[in-house]
Amino acid sequence: MNKDIYILGIESSCDDTAAAVLKNGYVLSNSIANQSIHKLYGGVIPEAASRAHMQNIIPVVENAMSIAGISKKELAAVAFTRGPGLLGSLLVGSSFAKAFSMGLGVPIIAVNHMQAHVLAHFIRDDTKKGVPTFPFLCLTVSGGHTQIVLVSDFFEMKVVGETTDDAAGEAFDKIAKTMGVPYPGGPLVDKFALAGDPNRFVFTHPKVAGFDYSFSGLKTAVLYLVRDGVQANSDFVQDNINDICASAQYTIVEILLAKLKLAAAHYKINTIAVAGGVSANSLLRKRLLTDGEKLGWNVFIPDFGYCTDNAAMIAMTGYLKFLNSDFAAQDSAAKARLSIGN
Amino acid sequence: MELNITSVNDLEQCAKTMLDYCKDKRVFAFYGEMGAGKTTLIKELCKALQVTDQVNSPTFSIINEYQTADDMVVYHFDFYRIKNEEEAVNIGCMDYFYSGSYCFIEWAEKIHNLLPSDSVKAEIHFINEERIVRITS
Repeated sequence: MNKDIYILGIESSCDDTAAAVLKNGYVLSNSIANQSIHKLYGGVIPEAASRAHMQNIIPVVENAMSIAGISKKELAAVAFTRGPGLLGSLLVGSSFAKAFSMGLGVPIIAVNHMQAHVLAHFIRDDTKKGVPTFPFLCLTVSGGHTQIVLVSDFFEMKVVGETTDDAAGEAFDKIAKTMGVPYPGGPLVDKFALAGDPNRFVFTHPKVAGFDYSFSGLKTAVLYLVRDGVQANSDFVQDNINDICASAQYTIVEILLAKLKLAAAHYKINTIAVAGGVSANSLLRKRLLTDGEKLGWNVFIPDFGYCTDNAAMIAMTGYLKFLNSDFAAQDSAAKARLSIGN
Repeated sequence: MELNITSVNDLEQCAKTMLDYCKDKRVFAFYGEMGAGKTTLIKELCKALQVTDQVNSPTFSIINEYQTADDMVVYHFDFYRIKNEEEAVNIGCMDYFYSGSYCFIEWAEKIHNLLPSDSVKAEIHFINEERIVRITS
C-alpha cells in the first residue's frame, strides 16, 4: 500500500483540548488549545481556557489541520479519546469526532488515553534511537497517574503497580503548596532542588505491597516538617526551601525507582520506558539513565511534548489501530472509567 | 456526632459508624486542610461499601468513579483545582449529586452553593496528633 495515511487525533479527557495530525506515524502538527489559537481564529476567548472544550475544539482542530497543511478530504480516519477521564470533557471530543468523520465519510477510532501515553513511544522520528521492543515496562507518571504498565504488545497492556492514594505529580504539586508555591508547583520543586541538599531531611518510604505506590505519607511528612519548622523559626521555609525540595524530590524519585526496579527484576525485563508529565523531572530522567545503565536497562524517554496530555499520542494510537482496521461504531460511548486492558 | 481517630486501626470502625449513622444519606461533603486525611477516610468508606476498584486521589481527575461488588457506583470528587462554581456545574456535578449514588466530595467548600441541602457535612480536625471527625446532617 503506497497511499499516505493521515490521521487526525483529538484529546479532551480532562483539562486540555488538543488536536494533532500524523502522516504515516510522523507528526505534522500537535496543537493544544490556548489563548493564541483563539486569537488566530477570531473566536471568543474563554475566561478559563481549562476544560472549555466546547469553545476550544473547532479552533484547535482548524489549527492542527492548517499547520499540517493538508485538506480535510485527505484524512483517512479520526481518532478520539474514549476514556478514561471526565465524562463531560470526553463527550465533547467524541461527539465532535463522530460528526466530523460522518461528514467526511471516514471511519472513527476510539482510543484509550492510558494506552496512548504508552504508545507515544512509537511516534515516528528519524532522529530518535529507535522504539522500545516488546515486552517492556512503562512507568506512567503524571499529576493524575502513577502506574507501572507491563506492555506485551501494542494493545496488550496490564497495570502491575499503581498508586494507592496520591499520584507522584500530585505529591510534587502539594509539597510545593505547603511551602506557599501556587498549585501546580511541581516544576518549581525541581528548580529549587537543584540548589539544595537531598540528604538534609530524611523521609521514610511507604510500606506498600507488590509494585504499588503511595505518596500521601510523604506529603503529610513534609507538611509536619514545615509546620513544626515554622513554629520554631518563622523564616523556616524561606531558609530551607532548596533543601526541602531536594530532599522531597530525592524521596519521590527513590520511591518511583525502587518499585520499578523490583518489577523489572520480577518480570526479567530490561527495556524500560517512561511517560507522563513527571518524566520532565530532571532528577527522574538522570536517575533512570544512570541507575538504568548500571542495571543494563535500555531506557526510553519521549520528548516532553508527547509526555503531558497531547493529541499526537491519540493520533499515533489511532494510526496503529487503523493498520489493524480496528474501527469504532458511531454508537461507541465515551467512558469515564476505562482500564488499560480495554 | 464526633468520632475520634488516634490510629489507622480506628479508621475501619469510624467509616462503618459514619455510614450507619447516615444510612439514608448519599452525598457526603468533606472539610479539612491538606493532609487532614480526607482521601484516607474516603478510601475506608469505599472499602466499607465494598468498592472493588483502587480508590485514589481525584485531585487531577476531579471525579473518580468506582464500582462495588454488587454493581453499585460510587463517585469520589475533589474540587481543589476548581476555580469557581460555574466550572463545577459545567463538569456536570449536579447530575452526579442527585443520581442517588454515593458521592464523597473533597474540598466541598469550593462548591458550597451546589451541595444538595440534605448533604452530610464531615469536618476533619487534626488536634494534638489525633483526628476528630465531626459529622452533621
